[in-house]
Amino acid sequence: MTEYITLVSSDGFEFIISKDAAMVSGTIKNMLSSTFRETEERKIRLQEMDGRLLNKVVEYLYYNNKYKDSVDVPEFNIPTEMALELLVASDFLDV
Amino acid sequence: MSRRPLKYRSTDAPPEGAEAEDQRGIRGPSSALTEFLRQQGINAEAIRQRHLRRLRGEEGDGEEEGQGDGGNQGENGGDNEDTNNDTQEGGDVAVSGNGEQDQEDEEKDEEELQMRIAARRKRRAAAGKDDDEYTDSDEDELGSDEESAEVRRRPRRRVVGEEETCAQCFNKFIVNVYTKSAATGGYLCPDCTTKQLENERAMKRNQMLSRKKRQRLAAALLDRQDLKIPTLQDLAIKKVTERIEDVEQFGDIGSLNMKKIAKILCRNRSLDDNTLQLFLDIKNEKLEFWDCSKLTKNSYEKITSYCPNVKDLKLLMCGRLHNDNLNYFTSNLHHLTKIELDGPFLINNDTWRNFFENVGDRLTGLKISNTHRFDDETFKTFLEKCGPNLTELKLSRLDGIKEKESYDLMPVYLTKLESLEISYPHEEEQVSDSALINLLSINGETLHTLVLDGSSGLTDEFLVNGIKPFCVNLRSLSLSFLDQITSEGFVALFNEWNSNLGLNEVYLRKCFSLGDEGIIEFLLHSGQSLVELSINSVKDLTVDTFQIMKCPNLTYLDTGFVRAVDDVVLELIGKNCPQLKVLDCYGNNRCTSKAKIREGLKVIGRQSDTI
Repeated sequence: MTEYITLVSSDGFEFIISKDAAMVSGTIKNMLSSTFRETEERKIRLQEMDGRLLNKVVEYLYYNNKYKDSVDVPEFNIPTEMALELLVASDFLDV
Repeated sequence: MSRRPLKYRSTDAPPEGAEAEDQRGIRGPSSALTEFLRQQGINAEAIRQRHLRRLRGEEGDGEEEGQGDGGNQGENGGDNEDTNNDTQEGGDVAVSGNGEQDQEDEEKDEEELQMRIAARRKRRAAAGKDDDEYTDSDEDELGSDEESAEVRRRPRRRVVGEEETCAQCFNKFIVNVYTKSAATGGYLCPDCTTKQLENERAMKRNQMLSRKKRQRLAAALLDRQDLKIPTLQDLAIKKVTERIEDVEQFGDIGSLNMKKIAKILCRNRSLDDNTLQLFLDIKNEKLEFWDCSKLTKNSYEKITSYCPNVKDLKLLMCGRLHNDNLNYFTSNLHHLTKIELDGPFLINNDTWRNFFENVGDRLTGLKISNTHRFDDETFKTFLEKCGPNLTELKLSRLDGIKEKESYDLMPVYLTKLESLEISYPHEEEQVSDSALINLLSINGETLHTLVLDGSSGLTDEFLVNGIKPFCVNLRSLSLSFLDQITSEGFVALFNEWNSNLGLNEVYLRKCFSLGDEGIIEFLLHSGQSLVELSINSVKDLTVDTFQIMKCPNLTYLDTGFVRAVDDVVLELIGKNCPQLKVLDCYGNNRCTSKAKIREGLKVIGRQSDTI
């Protein structure tokens, strides 16, 4: 059975993703393996990110999870205007 | 039978003909090439003859096959019947002769095929054709060759339209031109043919994938990286650096990311007046720029005005750093305590002196390299003004310091050094044993890093009388290019050097006079604590050294151009140094792909690791 984690963006969008994918992020991994409230709720509020940004982050989490052992990895596309925000977000999430 | 002598005659014939022509004296204008060809007996007729002969030869082969086939003789042309009408005796001799010839021919064919493939590969590479494409056709060629060999071996050839039993599913089917032969012999029905084609295609695809993977691994190996998915941060940084011109301000991206971006920009040589602005912030106390070659006078002024609190300033390749800039640093950067400048060759002696006179008493670290405008007088001023407080000093490739006395003065002023580098002086005699022994006798107790690369005037004496008695806290030692250091010196230094608990980083690149005894003694002393070691080009080492080398903490080892290192030694090193991550072995021809290498260890520089 696959476990699922809910990520909530600052503007209220909820992303329900598999635990495997979520664990790609060092920060989320630490949150889930600690005694934070998030561990029980299985719901993480990311106030720093809006839905659009979190969407991209989730896309990367799945991308990383899917291709981590394969050779032929397609390029991960980042829209130019989002690059800086994404850098801040990825720094926070440790991905 | 009768053909062979004829051939020889035909080869001989042309030169005669040419001579005859000469005798007649009818000749047109001729170039040097024509003359040469004529002398060699090469003319159009000879070439035609050779071509005809080759054609005939091929027909001969086909005809022999026809004879073997027996049943299908009708297919062969009338030309062959002539040979069949030869006398029985003659025919026999001819066949046996041809048989031997055939074997030789086959060997030749093999060689020729290899050569042809190699030549084709070269041609394709030159033409820059797609890698995959050429291999495909290559394999096709090989395949077709095998097929033809098979055809030759098979006793009976099926004619299109006949009925045949499939070699795989044993169903009856009608042979057509697209029918494939099975690997085991016999033919395949259309269904099985499709299946086999699919299998072949899948095989090719797998081969291609594995080749791609190999290429990537080889490329990653050279970059010393693991093959893994780039992190989102790296991807974003890449994107940002691509469009750095459009960025107005970084947000809160963390100082580590800031440093990463700065490094990437420097590497791409795109740190310029515009992009520099992004890194300047009033809160910054430490600034590091690795390639400042595009920064103009204005940008250096910006550093002063935007970051007045900077304490630690590092500007490498700062060739355009102007006198005014350093004067501005002198008057406006009130917290500056450490400065590192690489290649500041526009700064003249007056400016340097002004800088040292004003900043001198608070400066704790000075690193200067690659400038000729730093002369003896300036050096003296620097020692007088900054000497007492200095903990870090680097003087590398300063060709302006020409007098030996300048280096001899150092022990008078420097007393608290923790890190010292004196490398590549103008003349090797300038840095002498006695000066260094004096310096170490005063600073030895605090010193943890000592770099003396290229100060090749130093001998064993400074090891024994300088390092051994005084440098009790030394952790990092670099003696590259010191060719006067011998094994005796090393043995004397490391034998019972109990006051020092072991070195962590040691670089002995191109210490040509070192041998087994010296290195073994050193390993017995520091083997337990070593983390990084370079014995690149210490060419006299033998297997003995590597049998002693048991370093539990070693993570990096450079054994380039130590010819004793081969597959067996590689395995030995991997076993004896469990923490070793990277092992360089450039130039060791006997390190091959067959070496057994422990998991987690990267061996770089083998010839077999080609991309």
